[in-house]
Amino acid sequence: MIIYVLCFILLLVGLYGVLTKRDLIKIILSLSIMEYSANLFLILFAYRQDGVFAILSKGEQAAGMVDPLPQALVLTSIVIELGITAMLVALAVRLYQKYNTFDITKIRRLSG
Amino acid sequence: MKDKGKGMTLIVKTITRYTVWLIALYGIYIILHGHLTPGGGFAGGVIIALALLNIMLAYGREFTRKWLRINLLHELEATSAIIFLIIGILGVAISGSFLANFLHHGKLFNLVSAGTIPILNIVIGIKVCVGLFVVVWSLALFHIPKKGGTE
Repeated sequence: MIIYVLCFILLLVGLYGVLTKRDLIKIILSLSIMEYSANLFLILFAYRQDGVFAILSKGEQAAGMVDPLPQALVLTSIVIELGITAMLVALAVRLYQKYNTFDITKIRRLSG
Repeated sequence: MKDKGKGMTLIVKTITRYTVWLIALYGIYIILHGHLTPGGGFAGGVIIALALLNIMLAYGREFTRKWLRINLLHELEATSAIIFLIIGILGVAISGSFLANFLHHGKLFNLVSAGTIPILNIVIGIKVCVGLFVVVWSLALFHIPKKGGTE
């Protein structure tokens, strides 16, 4: 039970970063931390005591294994996170081109 | 760093020249053993893309553009998606369902086994490798103006 609480605390760390940091790059990193905590939560749900990973290799008996379905889901989630991060970084770079800063309090006025 | 886009120092370039091929070889190993061990097309493709990114960071944009031919990479990315689709539709044509394993399955735990799965792993590896590299390449192409100066 305690590990789920720790996982939620990791989510809160990311949320704190998103809400309080002023630097765009730090905000993107905090968003990544939130995504990681969601992934970690799914993986922890699938964990099973003394389970092996769900791939049979040579000379091994089939035994109780961890649930492979959330792992496949998390793989998809990681790919989507990659796309989100790439898009956010591209937007941040465009903002830097326009305003010459990553500070969101200075990005206020329209700039041609 | 006077010349932008020229890459890093001689030390970094030399180390990169020796390590990039090892990284790429490891990625190819992960892709080829995708149906036997953990890993597969996606993980191996990411590793090979990181090797290419190493080259881009160490040698700079100009060298990489000449060495890799970026237009070819764009075409390779589109082609790998089409090959994946063709294999899937061949499954419909031969065995009756999408992505059906129509080749001979072979013996368990052999390197050449599992029908179409290693082929699909290789195709996915190419797609992920080229796609990831092109994403970071496009980000690197942004022109950043000097601090304080207006463009």
